Amino acid sequence: MQELFATIEGSNVSTWLRESNTIWAYPLVLTLHTVGLALLVGANTTLDLRLLGFGRRIPLSVMQQSFRVMWAGFWINAISGAFLFAADATTKGSTRLFALKLGLVLLGVIVIVATRRTVFVEGIDVDGISVSGLAKTLAVLSLLIWVTAITAGRLMAYV
Amino acid sequence: MANVFMSMAEATAKAMHETTIGQQMTLQPWLWPTCETLHFIGLAMLVGAAGLFDLRLLGFMRRASLSAVMELRLWAGLGLAINLVTGLMFFAGAPDQYMHNPAWWWKVAFILIAGINILTFEFSPTTKALVEKIGPNDNTPMRFKVAGGLSLFSWFAVLYCGRMLPFIGNAF
Repeated sequence: MQELFATIEGSNVSTWLRESNTIWAYPLVLTLHTVGLALLVGANTTLDLRLLGFGRRIPLSVMQQSFRVMWAGFWINAISGAFLFAADATTKGSTRLFALKLGLVLLGVIVIVATRRTVFVEGIDVDGISVSGLAKTLAVLSLLIWVTAITAGRLMAYV
Repeated sequence: MANVFMSMAEATAKAMHETTIGQQMTLQPWLWPTCETLHFIGLAMLVGAAGLFDLRLLGFMRRASLSAVMELRLWAGLGLAINLVTGLMFFAGAPDQYMHNPAWWWKVAFILIAGINILTFEFSPTTKALVEKIGPNDNTPMRFKVAGGLSLFSWFAVLYCGRMLPFIGNAF
């Protein structure tokens, strides 16, 4: 595994990201990763808050559009994240914090999909029914998971 | 004039750095990373809730009334408050890495633009009545579209300048 990480880290793209002294390399990818975070966690937070009863006058069917923003954010971060990993593969690949962050992101995405399937059932008018206890539990879980994922990601810069 | 402003800013920065918080920011190894984490959580809350409101101001998500979407803006306010407090703490902890950093001054400028935009919207006597009039399926007036667009642009500009702090001016 360590050999594979070393090969990735030694590739041309990784070297360019790490060593080219331009704000269009590493800084741009890092900015995209933060934009993706804002889109994914931002849209997720407002959906969760709505499910928990805040902004109750917003029709839930309108909030269904949040998923598009979340997936856009997710893919921006999956791609920018892969580049950030490639630039620094041997170090990141061996830290437990990075593994924890990946696990939390996976868990967060599973909860997003579960929320969609629980709340927005095809053929049912979502604006005509009240939010189920399960949906509220998923919303709390989701808020906790993303706060922890951000914490793990942020702390990677310090260990 | 510019010299007077800079010496006043330097004096303020020095006074902030001499406070207990200013000193502890770099003395306690856990404090800076904790504030960074809170700063990113605040960012997500601010961009998420303000973004939703900005999109409605721009005329998207029309099936919700404007006043309904506005109910979530307190969460944007909470995110902004977290980020102003933690941001001031970073500044107090290491003012020199920001004072001479062009990315930081740009960031402050965009925060001011976004802030003035919010204040103009919140405290304009005509806005409140106009907000109530925009129900489900109603389009928004050009004034609101400009406010929403300016807000969305400013917050992403703030994010970009913040992310550039270590690369343009070598802040940590």
